[in-house]
Amino acid sequence: MSWVSDLVNAISLGVVYGLVAVSVGLVFGVLRQVNLAQGEVIALGAYSLWMTRGLPVAASIAICCVVCVAMSLAIQVAIFRPLRGASALTTLIVTFGLSYALEAVWLIAFGPNGEPVSMLSSLNSVVLGGSIALRWITLVEIGASGLFFTGLVLILYRSKIGMMMRATAEDFQTARLVGVRIDRVVTWAFVFGGLSAALVAVLVTVQSPLVTPSFGFNLIVIGLVGVVLGGIDRLGRATAGGFVVGFVNSLLGAVVPEQQLVFLPMLTFLFVIVILVLRPAGLFTPRGSIVERV
Amino acid sequence: MRPRLRLVAELAGPLSLVVVVAVAGSAMSIAQQGNAINVLVTATIVVALYVFIGNSGVWSFGQISFVAVGAFAAGLLTSPTATRQTSMPTLFKFLATTQISNTESLVLAAGLGAVFSFLAGLVLMRLSGLSAGIATFAVLEITYDVLTYWDKIGPGATTLALVPVTTSMTVGAVGCGIAIVVAFAYQHTRSCRLLRASREDPVAAQGLGISVFRHRLVAFTISGGLAGFAGALFVHELGSISTGQVYIDLTFATLAMLVVGGAGSLWGAVLGGMGLGVVDAFLSNAENGVAFGSVNVTLPNGMRVVILGVLMVVVLIIAPKGVTGSREFLERFLSKRPGRAGAGNKPGGSLAGGASVADDGSQAVPSPSRTQS
Amino acid sequence: MNPLLRLDDLRVTYGRVVAVKSVTLEVNEGQAVCLVGPNGAGKSSTLLAVMGAVRSRGDVLLRGTSTRGLRPEALAHLGVAMVPEGRHLFQTMSVQDNLSLGTLARRQGKRARIDERWVTELFPIIGQFASRRAGLLSGGQQQQVAIARALLSDPDLILLDEPSLGLSPVAVDAVFEVLERIRGVGVAILLVEQRAQRAIRFCERSYVLSDGEIRLEVTGGAVEDPQAVVEAYFGR
Ligand SMILES: Nc1ncnc2c1ncn2[C@@H]1O[C@H](COP(=O)(O)OP(=O)(O)OP(=O)(O)O)[C@@H](O)[C@H]1O
Ligand SMILES: [Mg+2]
Repeated sequence: MSWVSDLVNAISLGVVYGLVAVSVGLVFGVLRQVNLAQGEVIALGAYSLWMTRGLPVAASIAICCVVCVAMSLAIQVAIFRPLRGASALTTLIVTFGLSYALEAVWLIAFGPNGEPVSMLSSLNSVVLGGSIALRWITLVEIGASGLFFTGLVLILYRSKIGMMMRATAEDFQTARLVGVRIDRVVTWAFVFGGLSAALVAVLVTVQSPLVTPSFGFNLIVIGLVGVVLGGIDRLGRATAGGFVVGFVNSLLGAVVPEQQLVFLPMLTFLFVIVILVLRPAGLFTPRGSIVERV
Repeated sequence: MRPRLRLVAELAGPLSLVVVVAVAGSAMSIAQQGNAINVLVTATIVVALYVFIGNSGVWSFGQISFVAVGAFAAGLLTSPTATRQTSMPTLFKFLATTQISNTESLVLAAGLGAVFSFLAGLVLMRLSGLSAGIATFAVLEITYDVLTYWDKIGPGATTLALVPVTTSMTVGAVGCGIAIVVAFAYQHTRSCRLLRASREDPVAAQGLGISVFRHRLVAFTISGGLAGFAGALFVHELGSISTGQVYIDLTFATLAMLVVGGAGSLWGAVLGGMGLGVVDAFLSNAENGVAFGSVNVTLPNGMRVVILGVLMVVVLIIAPKGVTGSREFLERFLSKRPGRAGAGNKPGGSLAGGASVADDGSQAVPSPSRTQS
Repeated sequence: MNPLLRLDDLRVTYGRVVAVKSVTLEVNEGQAVCLVGPNGAGKSSTLLAVMGAVRSRGDVLLRGTSTRGLRPEALAHLGVAMVPEGRHLFQTMSVQDNLSLGTLARRQGKRARIDERWVTELFPIIGQFASRRAGLLSGGQQQQVAIARALLSDPDLILLDEPSLGLSPVAVDAVFEVLERIRGVGVAILLVEQRAQRAIRFCERSYVLSDGEIRLEVTGGAVEDPQAVVEAYFGR
């Protein structure tokens, strides 16, 4: 029966990387640019949870959201505005540099050993004992992400700002011609990106409470891999790609024998290369469809 | 006469920089000499990166894998066999017993780097843009994982120690010089010229019958060979090595150097490698405490990386082609029309070119380039 | 009285390519003006420069005020709409969504000339295919939706870049009927067309553009000297 919990665990890791993918995919959708520094937004969110550990949980989470959105917007103003029109790769390199610098800032500010966030540690308790070992957090992860995704879809397909975002993602120039105020759309993309980063920060710190300087970078790298795997130019595909990477990683972790577990990254990244070579436009991009190669 | 003068300058510029660093380094204290050697070795790695990234316009995050392979092969096979058998009992037999000289190890490392990158390139060189970036990063992750945990081929997670320290100032300078000469010679081959042409417009190049794949593979292989060679210099400089030293940190630092110098030219690569190398050395000194007159300043650990990162970001935003503008040494003064530098034998390079049109794949259809503000 | 739109020595370059050398022209309120010329003359570039979608030199004056530095979305909110060359519908979105996006730039507190009713009456197909994906419509239908989308912003001036491109003769007739209706409600038109004769006959004023320069101005819609038009078109 352990396969049930393996499966549920895999799904829960999948949705977390799906969230990471959303925060990259939203920005890519409207700007065709990559924001690797989104990982550091997650990291700062996690550190903010640690800094507000004395406060009630709700306040702590609210502050985390504000911090993530603010930092996301700061990155937009400082990095993406001056780089408007630059290629996806240029922005990837720039935000790679920025991530690295920020990681060192966390090192200086918070030290190398990591800070424990024990905020919602009660969620780590077991739902069902016995052969099916399930923890509450896994269910919370799936539930909270499900809510977030539903909300996002509703916003994208039912609201005016969502319609403008979809139009911008499809045809940046024409969107401007019909009067879409691009700056607002971009700002909203970064706001939603910041919010999903906050959610990731909360969920991941419950599951594994130690926040180290490379906390965010590790998440974003895998997330970005998923985004590219799934097909970066559609939010849905990018999110699905993030899910698949998290899911496969978790499942491989459960299947591969204990001593061989150290080779898990190798397996994951081999899988990545195979997919990229077989389906360069993305796993979920239909064959033969004309896609912009980025 | 002019073109020949330009050619001479293109090679002489980077080489004289090597000589300057070596001579200035030799005049300093022992500790500073170590730093100078490190600058030379790091610059060699940057030149290796340049050979692929600069000429192909494809960003690779994976070249440090080849440095790692070169470093571990050269280090392992030159370390004393007796200690190998006691400290690494799980090694394959031939790895435990074979002993080679330091010079041989340099050649072997270059060869291994070239073979490994050729094999990886067979798979990867069909990709471009973001996918290529991710796939090359995957190679780095795989290499790191295997080297760290497979204890049949090396020290695994432990540090490989007792490697003979043979990269003196002279060896470092000569090694860096060799890499520069190879890069220079390569960028004047037909294959490289075609590759550079294809970088501007891969689709058009393919339409003209240029095999982008083949020329990229050549560049990737040469770059891998140089990276392996640089790895051997590196391990013989340090005397010991662990996998963490040839992983993301080094990838980041060398990419920052390439970008800041100007990824599109050999001069940019060498200047960036040496320049930031010196800054880097100074900053790591400062992290250990440095005296400004009577005041002792100690930078917090990690400040070095912050400054490097910020420099990289700022340069890419203000001058996307780096401080050299991705031009070769004195190219601007020696080309016939100063205003059109880069229009000659070297496509000026929209590499990492901020807002340039050719860089933005979406402009492949002939629609007017729109201002984005 | 200032003209609605005035281009003053407009110049557009793409890197080293000079697309528009010098264009000076005027469009008055409610008037139809066309710009004809061979391929590559710089017609589309002129329209894009009016919208602020490409960088240009010289000046673009809207109701006597310079639009220097304004972005396309700002121009749209000032009452200028554009139907770009090649239609550029949002292919994956429904016809209805495309039209809703068209209403974004409607100005508040202004008596509406054009509303959804008017447009639906003009183009019955948009009622019929409201929920269909725009990308699935035929070329001619897409052109109608593109014009409808631009009209829904209730503009004072509409820029049309080759609306008849790729249409059958009957459909071309329909396009010109639509243009007539648009002019009828007082919306000024700046039209770019390959079908020079027809466009010149339709418009109050026409400019022949070649090599980025205005070669000939024809007023009143009557082509008195067809030879002159041909020469302006092709000759130097
Ligand atoms: N994005 C661009 N980059 C470089 N050159 C361009 C760009 N867009 C247009 N051009 C050039 O500018 C000139 C004018 O182009 P434009 O599209 O304005 O012409 P046009 O009159 O609309 O032609 P057509 O009738 O074919 O639509 C042409 O020589 C064209 O090659
Ligand atoms: Mg045109």
